[in-house]
Amino acid sequence: MMKKSMLVLFSILFFVLAGCVQNSNAPSDDKGDGTETADGQGGEKEILTVAMTADQGTLDPAVTMDNSAWKITYPAYERLVEYDGESTEVKPGVAKDWNVSDDGKKWTFTLNEGHKFSDGTELNAEAVKASFERTLAIENGPAEVYSVISEINVESDYVVSFELGENFPPFLSTLAANYGGIVNPKVLEHEKDGDLGQNYLATNTMGSGSYELTEWKQGEYIKLSINKEAKVQPSIPEVYFRIVADGATQRMQLEKGEIDIAEGIPTEQIESVKSMEQVELLQKPSLLVDYVYVNSSKGNEALKNPKVRQALSYGIDYESMINVVHQGYATPMRGPVPDGLWGHNPASFQYELDINKAKSLLEEAGAKDLTLTLLYSDNKTWWETEALTIQANLKEIGVDVKLNKVAYATSREMMEKGEFDLSLGVWSPDFGDPYMFMNYWYDSENLGLAGNRAFYQNEEVDKLLRQAATSNDQEEREALYYEIQDIVIEEAPYILLFQKDFVLPVSHSVKGFVYNPMLEGIYNLAEMTKQ
Amino acid sequence: MTKMIFKRLLLLVFVVFGVTLITFILSNIIPGDPASMMAGQRANQETLEQVREQLGLDQPILTQYANYMQGLLTGDLGTSIRTQKPVLDDLIIFFPATLELAILAFFIAIIIGIPLGILAAVKKNTFWDHASRIFTISGISTPVFWSGLLVIFIFYGVLGWFPANGRIEMQVNPPTHVTGLYLLDSLLSGDWVAFQSSLRHILLPAIVLSFAQLAIITRQVRASMLEVLEKEYFRTAIANGINGPYLLIKYGLRNALIPTITVIGVSFGALLGGAVVTETVFGWPGMGKYVVDSIAYLDFPAMMGFTVFISIGYVLINLIVDLSYYVLNPQIKE
Repeated sequence: MMKKSMLVLFSILFFVLAGCVQNSNAPSDDKGDGTETADGQGGEKEILTVAMTADQGTLDPAVTMDNSAWKITYPAYERLVEYDGESTEVKPGVAKDWNVSDDGKKWTFTLNEGHKFSDGTELNAEAVKASFERTLAIENGPAEVYSVISEINVESDYVVSFELGENFPPFLSTLAANYGGIVNPKVLEHEKDGDLGQNYLATNTMGSGSYELTEWKQGEYIKLSINKEAKVQPSIPEVYFRIVADGATQRMQLEKGEIDIAEGIPTEQIESVKSMEQVELLQKPSLLVDYVYVNSSKGNEALKNPKVRQALSYGIDYESMINVVHQGYATPMRGPVPDGLWGHNPASFQYELDINKAKSLLEEAGAKDLTLTLLYSDNKTWWETEALTIQANLKEIGVDVKLNKVAYATSREMMEKGEFDLSLGVWSPDFGDPYMFMNYWYDSENLGLAGNRAFYQNEEVDKLLRQAATSNDQEEREALYYEIQDIVIEEAPYILLFQKDFVLPVSHSVKGFVYNPMLEGIYNLAEMTKQ
Repeated sequence: MTKMIFKRLLLLVFVVFGVTLITFILSNIIPGDPASMMAGQRANQETLEQVREQLGLDQPILTQYANYMQGLLTGDLGTSIRTQKPVLDDLIIFFPATLELAILAFFIAIIIGIPLGILAAVKKNTFWDHASRIFTISGISTPVFWSGLLVIFIFYGVLGWFPANGRIEMQVNPPTHVTGLYLLDSLLSGDWVAFQSSLRHILLPAIVLSFAQLAIITRQVRASMLEVLEKEYFRTAIANGINGPYLLIKYGLRNALIPTITVIGVSFGALLGGAVVTETVFGWPGMGKYVVDSIAYLDFPAMMGFTVFISIGYVLINLIVDLSYYVLNPQIKE
C-alpha cells in the first residue's frame, strides 16, 4: 500500500515539475529546432572545430603561463605589437609605431585609433596603462616577465610610454606574447575581494581581439564568436575548441569530418593521417627544443669535468634518436639557439656519434665505471623511449645510466634543487629573442628551474651574456651570442638532441592558417577561412 | 531506524574529518610545489614566494588545515589553483555528469546482472551457465581503457551509430537545469531533442562503465541463488505446486538479494570512483576527468574537494544499503 502511494506521489511530483520546466530546444527558440543534430560541425562553413586534448585552466592573461590557454586568449585580445606572419620579428599591432630612448630605458608607443573592446569601450593609452598595471599588481608569472617596468605614463590619449628599470632589448618582443594582451579596464567592475577581476577573467574574455569567448561548457568545449566591435572582422563566425582527450578518437573524428583540426594525434598514429584524402599534414620546424641537462655542479663529481660532458654528447646517436623517438618528425640541433630564431648560427659545431672519441675523453678525464641517474617524468609521451635510447647509447661508451622516472611535479622539484645527474627537458621561448635560450640556460643567476637547469657556472659566459642582454644593437648582440655559443658548445652542459617538428593534421577545407613558431598551438583565426 | 540514521549521519562527520586529515597530510607530503605550477616554468624565487603567499602555502601545515576545515564548515572548499574558481562551483558543474553516468551504469548492471545471475544458477552447468561465466570473467578482466576504445572503434568508427565523446551535441541546447542530469531534465521539460542526444551520448560510456560491476553482480546473484535453491523452504514451495517466475522471484531472488545488496551498494561507490578512466576515454565532462587534470597540476584544493565529495557519497550509499535491508528482511526491523 505504502509502495503504491509513494509511486503515485512521485508520478505527481514528476508531472508537476515537468509542467514548470521550459523546453530549451522548443521550435520557437530562435536557434532553430535543433533536429538536425549530426555531430558534423566540422562540415559546416560557418564553424571551425578544433579538437584539443584537455580543458583549460584560467584564461586571465595576467595570470596564465600555460601556453595551451593561449589558443583561446590570443585571438580574444590585441597587443601593442604582433608577431609578423611566420617570422619571430614583430609588426605593429594596436601600436602603429614606437621608439626607444638611447639608453634603452624608455619605450614610447603611438596607438592606432578606433580599436574597441567587445563592450564598445575604446582602447586608448589609459587602457594600456591600466592593463599592464593590473598585470603587475597581480604579481603572478606574467608580472615577473614585466618586472623590468618601473613606470607607465599616458603621454596623450593615444601615446603611452614605459619606463624600464634597466635596458632590456627583448622588451618589445615580450609585448607580442600572450601576457601582453590588453584587457578592458572595465574588468575592475567584476572585482571580488580585491582580486582585480581574476575570478571573472578566469572564464571570460574582455579584449579587443577579433573573437570573444561566448560559451564554455567545462570539460566539453569552448566557443568563440566574432567580437562585433573588433577592427578586423573575421570570416568564420564561430570557432569551437572541443575537448577530445583520446588521440585515436580524434583521428576517427577527423576522418569523418567532424573536426577540422586535430591537435592530439600522437606521432605514432600520424602516418595513418597521411592516407586521409581530405586532410593535409602540416610539418614545420618548431622552436621546441628537446635536450638533456647535464648537472655540471650539483650532480656526480665527474660531470664537473667538461671532458666527461663532451664524452656524453659524443655518445648519443642523434639520427636514430630522431627516427626512433619521433618517426623522423624532428630536426637536429646546431647550437642552443634553434633554427628559425635570429641568433641561430648554422655554422655552429654539433656533436655526432663517435664512440671511440667518447671513450678516449672519458679515459683522459679518469672517469671509469661511471654510473649516472637520468631523471624524467611522464610530462612528454616520448620521454620513455628517449630515456631508454639514451641508456642504451651511453652503455656503448661504458656509462651506466640508471633511469629515475617520477611524477612531473616531483621532477620539477628535483630540477629546482639539482637532485639529478642527467635530466630530460624541453624548452620553448616565450618571446622571439635568443635571450630566451642563451641567458636563461647559461647565466649563473638563473640556476635551477628558472632556466640554467644544468647548474652551469662560467664567469666569462655570464659577463658576455649580460653584455648581450643590454645592448640595443641587434648585430652586436648576435655577434656576442655567436661567441658565447662557441664556448658553451665546447663546455657541453647540455646534450642538444633535436628541435621537434610542429605537426598538425588540418582539413583541406580550412584555408589561411599561418604557423608562427612563436605561437605554437595558436591559430590566426582572424585570417583563416573555411570552404 | 531513525536512531540508526542519526547515528550514521553523526559518523559521517568523523569520516569526513578523517578523510580530509589524511588527504591533506598526503598531499602536503608528496614533493612538488603548486606555486611553481602556477607561476610558470621559469618563475624566479621572488615570484614563487608571492604566489605561495597568495595561495596561503607559506603558512604552517596545521594552520593551513585549520583554515581549510573552517572553510569546509561554511561550505567553502577553497579556490582551485588551476581554474581560479571556487572548488565547490567546479564540482557542482561536474558532479551531475558523473552521477548521471554512474546511475545509468548502475541500472544497466542490475537489470542485466540479476537476471543473468538467476539464469546461470537455474541452468547450472549448462551452456547458459558457461556462457554467463565467460561473459562475466571477461567483464571483470577487461580494462576500461581498452574496452572503451574498442567500443568507440566499433560503434562510432565503423558503424557510426553513436557519437564518440561529449555529453550532448554541440548545437543542441542542454535541457533546462533542474537536477543537472540531462536525461531526467530533458524528460521533465519534454525536450525530446535533448533527450535523444543525451541518450546517444551516454549509452556507450555507461555500458562500458557497467561492465565490471555487472560481472560482479551476476556472480554474486548466481552464488546466492544456488544456495537458496538448495534450501528446504524453496523445495517445500515447489512441492506445494508453486512454479515459474513467481517461485523464482518471491522465494528465490528475494532471499538471495540480501547478500547481493551489499555488493550492489559497494558497486555504486565503485562506479562513482571508477568513472575516472571511463570519463577520460569518452571525454565525459565529469568529476573524474576534472580530478585527473587537477592532480597533474597539483591543485590541492580541487583534489581535497573531490575526496570530500566522494567520501560523503560512499557513506550515504552505505546508509542506503543498510536501510534497504530493512525493506528486504522484515526480521531486522525487530
